[in-house]
Amino acid sequence: MKVKVIVGAIVVVIGVVLGAMNFMESNVEYANFSAAERSQKKVQVKGEWVKEQPTAFDVQNVKFSFFMKDDASRVAKVVLDGAKPNNFELATSVVAKGKFVNGEFHASEVLTKCPSKYEGSSETIKKTL
Amino acid sequence: MRRGAMGMVLLGTIGSSIIKVAFFAALAAAFFYFRSFRNQSDKALFYARNCYHLSTLSLIAASSVFLYLILTHQFQFTYVWEYSSTDLSLPLLVSTFYAGQEGSLTLWALYTSFIGIFLMFYTSRREYESATMSVYSSILAFLLLMLVVKNPFALIWDSFPADLVKSGPIPNGLPNVVMLDAARGVWAQFPNQGKGLNPLLQNYWMVIHPQILFTGFSAMAVPYTLAVAAMMKRDYNSWIRIATPWAVFGSMVLGTGIILGGYWAYETLGWGGFWGWDPVENSSLIPWLLCVASIHSALNQRKTGGFVRTNIVFSLLTFVTVLYSTFLTRSGVLGDTSVHSFVDPGMWVYWLLLGCLGLFAGIGFGLFAFRVREMPKAPVKHSYFSREFALFLGAFALSFVALFVVIGTSSPIITSILKGKASAVEIIYYVRTNLPLGIVICFLSGLGQLLWWRQSHAGPLLRSLAVPVALSLLITAAVYSVLGSEEVLILLFIFCAAFSLVVNAKIGYSIFAGNPKFVGGSIAHVGIALMCLGFVTSSRYDTKATLALERGKPAESMGYRLTYLGYKELDSERYAFNVEVHHGGVTKIVAPIMRFNSQDNSTIRHPDVINFISRDFYVSPVTVETGTKEAVVSHTLARGKPLKIGDLTVTFSQFKFTDEQRAAMSEGKEFFITAELQIQKGTSSDRLELRVKNGPAGAEFIPSAYTAKDGKQYEFAMTKTMPSQEDPSQSAVAVDVKLPHDPAAHQKEDTLVIEASIKPMINLVWAGTVTLIIGFVLTIMRRVEEARRQGERPRPPE
Repeated sequence: MKVKVIVGAIVVVIGVVLGAMNFMESNVEYANFSAAERSQKKVQVKGEWVKEQPTAFDVQNVKFSFFMKDDASRVAKVVLDGAKPNNFELATSVVAKGKFVNGEFHASEVLTKCPSKYEGSSETIKKTL
Repeated sequence: MRRGAMGMVLLGTIGSSIIKVAFFAALAAAFFYFRSFRNQSDKALFYARNCYHLSTLSLIAASSVFLYLILTHQFQFTYVWEYSSTDLSLPLLVSTFYAGQEGSLTLWALYTSFIGIFLMFYTSRREYESATMSVYSSILAFLLLMLVVKNPFALIWDSFPADLVKSGPIPNGLPNVVMLDAARGVWAQFPNQGKGLNPLLQNYWMVIHPQILFTGFSAMAVPYTLAVAAMMKRDYNSWIRIATPWAVFGSMVLGTGIILGGYWAYETLGWGGFWGWDPVENSSLIPWLLCVASIHSALNQRKTGGFVRTNIVFSLLTFVTVLYSTFLTRSGVLGDTSVHSFVDPGMWVYWLLLGCLGLFAGIGFGLFAFRVREMPKAPVKHSYFSREFALFLGAFALSFVALFVVIGTSSPIITSILKGKASAVEIIYYVRTNLPLGIVICFLSGLGQLLWWRQSHAGPLLRSLAVPVALSLLITAAVYSVLGSEEVLILLFIFCAAFSLVVNAKIGYSIFAGNPKFVGGSIAHVGIALMCLGFVTSSRYDTKATLALERGKPAESMGYRLTYLGYKELDSERYAFNVEVHHGGVTKIVAPIMRFNSQDNSTIRHPDVINFISRDFYVSPVTVETGTKEAVVSHTLARGKPLKIGDLTVTFSQFKFTDEQRAAMSEGKEFFITAELQIQKGTSSDRLELRVKNGPAGAEFIPSAYTAKDGKQYEFAMTKTMPSQEDPSQSAVAVDVKLPHDPAAHQKEDTLVIEASIKPMINLVWAGTVTLIIGFVLTIMRRVEEARRQGERPRPPE
C-alpha cells in the first residue's frame, strides 16, 4: 500500500512539474521593441499601427507589413506571416507575436483589439433610427 | 407613433415579471423539496412539485414572449436590436434568441428546467426525488437569478438614454416614437432596424449547435445533484446506478455538441482545423472529460463496491467545472486574449457567476468533507493487472487532461496574478501536455478490455495481446510508410490508437455475438480510436501551401493543378472565388467566399472543402488583388510637413474658412471648408484647393483633379478635416489620392491568394464521431434498463 501511494505521488508530481514548465514556456512574454531586439526571443509587443506610413502586401510570399509604434514610442516595421488581419483598420491597438530580426519585427500572429462593442453604439444606434 | 409599440413594451414588462415569478417559484421549490426531505412531508412534496412546475411554465411563457418579440422585430428592446435585423431568414431569426448573453442564459435555464421534469419523474420512483430536486431547483433558481439581474427584456431607451430620450414637442412624421412621460413631454425614439446577427454566425450551424451544447450543459448538472443527494441520504452505493444513465446521456449530448462546433469551425469559420484550443471550446471539453472519467470510475464501484469517494468527487467536478467554464467565458476575465470577444457583462454578473461557482462548489465539497469519514471503504482485492486498475488509471488520466486544459484556459488569470499582465498560452502547450496522456488513455482503453476483473494471468493475457499488437504495428507501419516520418510520440500515439481500435473491434464482435445489448462500450471505444487516428493524420500529417493564383493561369502545387477562374457576386458584400482543382484525372471546383463589409472595412473569409475519401482538400481565401483597379493611397497631412505621394511632394498649408462661410454656418446654411495644398514636382510648384461641403445631408468631400507637368493625372479628395482650435499650426487633413494609371499594372489580371491544405484521412474523425454516438446510445439503453431493474417503486401520491 505504501509503495503504491509513493509511486502514485511521484507520477503526479512529475506530471505537474512537466506541465508547469510547459505552461511557463508556452506563455509568450510581453515586451517592447527594444527589449525584443535585445532578447532575440519570441515575445508579444503591444502598440499602435502608424497609419501615416505605408502598408504593403507581398503577394508572392504572403507577407503583410506595416509600421507599429510600441508603448515606448519606438516605431518599427512589422512583417506578418500572412494576410492583413481581420478588422485591422478598426483596431485601436494591435498585439504582434514574434521575434525581432535585422531591425524588423517578424510576427507569426497579429491580434487586433477593437473598440468595445458599446463604445461605438451611439453612432450605430443613430444609423438604425 | 407606431401602433402597438407601447403594447409591446408592456408585453416585455410582463416577460421580465414572469422571469421573476420563475425565479421565486424555483427558490420555493428548492425550499419545499428540502423540507419534504427533512420531514418526509407529503404536503411539502406536493408544494415543491407545483412550485417546480410553475417555474418551468413561467420560463416557457417568458421564452415565448421573448421569441415573439424577436420574430416581430420589436427593436424597442435592446437585445432584439443588438442581435437581429429584419433581413434574416426565419431559422436564423429564431437563432438570434441565443446569440447574446441574456438569450443564451435563457436557453440554458429553459433546458435545465425541461430536464428537471424528467429528473423529477425518474427520481420519484427511486425515493430520490426530494433530496435531488432540492439541489436541482437551487441550480435552476441561480440561473434564473442571473436573468433577473441581466434582463433580456431591457428597453433600448433605458440602455441608450443619451441618444434616444428627448423632451419637448415631437417633430411631425417622426417614426417609432413612444411617449414616456406625457405630463413632462418626455419621449423616446427607437430604431426601425437592428444591428443584425454577426456574419460569422449566419449559417445553419448556428441553428443547431448551441441547442445541443446547452442541452449537454444542462444535463451535466444531473450527476452533481445525484451525488449531493446521495450524500444527503447517506446512500453511497445505489446512487451510482441511478446516476450512470444521466452521465452517459450528458456525455453523449455534450460530446456531439463539441464535435459539431469543431465541424463548424473547420467547414465555415475557416480556422483551418476542427479544434483551436480556444477558451470557448475548452470550456465545454473540460466537463465532458470529467463526465467520461466518472462513467469509467462508476463501472468500478458497481463491480466492487469500492471507489465511492472517487465517484462522488468526479460527479461533483463535472458540474463545478461547467460553472467555472461559464465564469471564464462570460465574466470578461479572459479579456481580449482570444479570437472570441468576451464582452464585459458588468460587475453584477461577474460576482453572481463567481458566487454561483462558490456556492455549488461549497455545497458539494463541504458536504463531502462532512461525510467522507463515514463513506464505505471496500478492501482492495484487485491486482495491478486487473480491469479495475486499468479503469482507475484511465479515469485518472482523463481528469489530468481536464486539469491541464483548465490550467491552460485559465492562463490569463494565472499570468495576470503572477506577472501582472494577462497572456494566453500557445496551442503547443495543449499538444505537449495532452499527447502523452492521450497515448496512455488510448492504450488503456484497449488493454482494459483484455483484462479480467480482480486478477489477470500473464499467460492468457499475453496470448490475447499477440494478434492486436501485431495488427497495430502493421497499421502504424502503414501510416509511417504512406505519410512519412514523424516524432516518436506521434508514432506511439498512432500505435496505441490502432491497438485500441483492434482490441475493441474484436471484443465488440464477440460481445455482439453473445449479447448485442452490451456492445455499447466497445463501439464507443472504436469511435474514439478512429477519431484519435483521424486527429493525427489530418492535423500532424497535413501539407499546406500559400499560392498566388493569377486569373486563368494554372499553377501546380502538392500534386494538384489549380486555376483561378474568376469571382461571382453572391450579394452586395459576398463574393465566391471559383478555383478549378485538377488531380488524378478528376476536376472539381472549389468556391471559397469572402465577405467585404463596406461599413467597417472588415473582411470575413469562408473556406471551401473538397472531400475525397482519403483526404480533404481545404482552400481558405487570403486576399484578392485586383490588377485593373486604380491605386488609391490614404495619407494624413500635418500642416507644413511635406510628404511624398507618388512622384509629388505634397504639403498642407492651411484651412480656409472665410467670414462669408462662417456666417453661412451660423445661419444653418450650406457652407464650405477649404484646405490648401502645396504640390511640388521637381522645380515646379502648384497650389491645389480641396473642398468639403457641409450641409443638412452631412459632409460631402469634393474631389479635385491635378495634372502634373508630365501629364500624369492625379485625383485628390479630403476624407477628414482635423483643425486644431488652440494651435492652428497643429491642424491636419486626411486625403485619398488616386494615383495615375500605370500601364504595366493595368494589364495584370486579378490575383487570388489562397491557402490550400491537404488533410489526410480526416473522414476518420467524422466516422469515429458517428460510431461514438452509436456506442453512447447503446450504453444509455443498457444502463437505463439496469437502473429500472434495480427496484423501481411506484411514484408516491401527490
